Amino acid sequence: MTNKGAARNAASARSTLVPAMVAGLAALAVLCVLALAIGSVSLPLQDVVSALGGSGDATVVSIVRDSRAPRVLLAALVGAGLSMSGGALQGTLRNPLAEPYLLGVSGGAAVGAVLASAFGIGSAFGVTMAAFAGAAFATLSVSLIARVVGGRTDTRMLLMAGVVVGAFANAVIIVALSGLPADSLRGALWWMMGSVHDASWAGVGRMGAALAVFGGALLWLARELDVLALGEEPAAALGANVDRTSRQIFLLASFLAAATVAAAGLVGFVGLVVPNIARALGARSHRPMMLLSAVYGAALLVFADLLARTVRSPTQLPLGAITALIGVPFFLARLRKLT
Amino acid sequence: MHWRPKLRAVSSRKPPRAKNRRSRHVLLTVVIAVTAIGAACSAKETSRPSDSSKPLATVVAASDTDDFGVRFPMDTLVAARVVSLVPAATEIIFAIGRGNRLIGRTTWDLFPDSARLVANLGDGIRPNIEVVLAARPTLVVLYASTENRAAAAAFRKAGIAVMAIRVDRIADFERLTKQLGVTLNAQRRAQQVVDTVTATLQKVRTVCADAGKPTVVWPLFESPVYVVGKGSFLSELLDIAGAANIFADMEKPSPEVSVEEIAHRDPAFLLTSPSSVNRMEANATWQSVRAVREQHILLVDTLLVSRPTVTLGMAAVSLARLLHPDCASSLP
Repeated sequence: MTNKGAARNAASARSTLVPAMVAGLAALAVLCVLALAIGSVSLPLQDVVSALGGSGDATVVSIVRDSRAPRVLLAALVGAGLSMSGGALQGTLRNPLAEPYLLGVSGGAAVGAVLASAFGIGSAFGVTMAAFAGAAFATLSVSLIARVVGGRTDTRMLLMAGVVVGAFANAVIIVALSGLPADSLRGALWWMMGSVHDASWAGVGRMGAALAVFGGALLWLARELDVLALGEEPAAALGANVDRTSRQIFLLASFLAAATVAAAGLVGFVGLVVPNIARALGARSHRPMMLLSAVYGAALLVFADLLARTVRSPTQLPLGAITALIGVPFFLARLRKLT
Repeated sequence: MHWRPKLRAVSSRKPPRAKNRRSRHVLLTVVIAVTAIGAACSAKETSRPSDSSKPLATVVAASDTDDFGVRFPMDTLVAARVVSLVPAATEIIFAIGRGNRLIGRTTWDLFPDSARLVANLGDGIRPNIEVVLAARPTLVVLYASTENRAAAAAFRKAGIAVMAIRVDRIADFERLTKQLGVTLNAQRRAQQVVDTVTATLQKVRTVCADAGKPTVVWPLFESPVYVVGKGSFLSELLDIAGAANIFADMEKPSPEVSVEEIAHRDPAFLLTSPSSVNRMEANATWQSVRAVREQHILLVDTLLVSRPTVTLGMAAVSLARLLHPDCASSLP
């Protein structure tokens, strides 16, 4: 490609990326406002604004500040985290159909949460920490298995190890669930379907910190991801330490996914679908792709949560069900395109 | 299919420092272990008072501590606007003449008929907090399960009194009725309800005392098999109605067992709901149970007997009529 051609491509990419980012941010802002105003109880926008400032009817203030606002924020942060994690993993594995849950993260987190229920740990913080510990343990196990079997961080081994660890985790979950009393069983199953129902400001803080740390690290390694995406041999020829970089990105992306699972349970398809949307909107390099994914992932999950709590109000649907209903048609369309 | 990012020259970097791989793995392991320990040491489940079976004559006092171990105000002014997210509590509130205080109930609160006129606020487990807050209650009666702790905290934070309860045993029903009686300023009526139910239960026990005690099993679900265990008010009703629950040695309210175990324990009768009996009789596995094989199946009015509330007396009468039809004329 000539320099002129490269410059033309760069300009073309920027010309689509910027509007896409602006549109994404605008959509996220509008959805957040809607999510604060609409729910099982519709509130006038003026009352919502007053309530955010702490003034107005005490019940409205309580609904907006203590129930809806943390919920909307947590959904946005979880969506952003899952999308960034998915984008990074798709780049590392060079597979647009990869997502965090393929690599054992969800299974490990579910084991942690179910075991927490089995041991009578009822607090949201306790379940969150147990889920994160389970996900982190699964992530390290997958990495270790891939290195032991493959001799280095082989992406095919990572995928296979992830499937194996996930299958083992499912077996542990089933055994644990079979012995749970009805109350704990119900809670564990609900957690596994994904929800931000129990969002709190403390949970928002924890997820925000995880996104800042792990997501920030992924953005910092975005250039290395660009090199890895060329393939192992070209990347090595360009001086990249393929093994170390792959491992770093895998661990960071998995820990970020683990944090989202710990915060909101199992919410599938976001990490798969959104990075592909970002690429379709013109994001080629991984840094803009992950940033765009974060914005669109946040918007998607805020929208999904809005649907989950309004479609059958006052009953609330699991978040994972909504994202699956949105994600499966997209996944099938993408699959068809790839073949 | 495979996208190619825009290639930029990788800037020259200093060679990475040699890292101690083992120390990194150790550090990660320690982080995970600390996290797991932190989870284990976090707020523990508050255990309910141990509830060994009590004779009916025990006086159960109203308590101002709910089943989450939190004190709730017994001030009658608190209970001006009540949301009941527990069907048993809804029935009791109507029974003590305070149904006019109810401003919200769950989808499952169907008794008495008047309850259906109260606003439906959704589920009682993981309730919709917004909807409950919007009803502006002063008191919420909530089921004391693990999943409802967050909701209880949210309601308390909003300045609403919360009474978290579980009704697993007959003594729990008595305690709850008296608690609601005090909170809703209907103590005398609440005591009347408790006395009426207690008297009926005592009468049934007396009538059935000499009628023999056939062994029974009561599967609540047939696949997997969950049966009535010692920890359930249903087991207490069986005892009152003159039956010996073959799984009364199991502490759980509804333990999971195998059909083999039921066949081994060989109950004289099997109690079940009308909707389950056809499936059981058609299932070859259940034919190993003699009571099924010989058609010693008793059909239970599950709508009546499955509610741990003001209908406990009638539930005991219903079971006694099934188990001891000869004593029917002596029963209330």
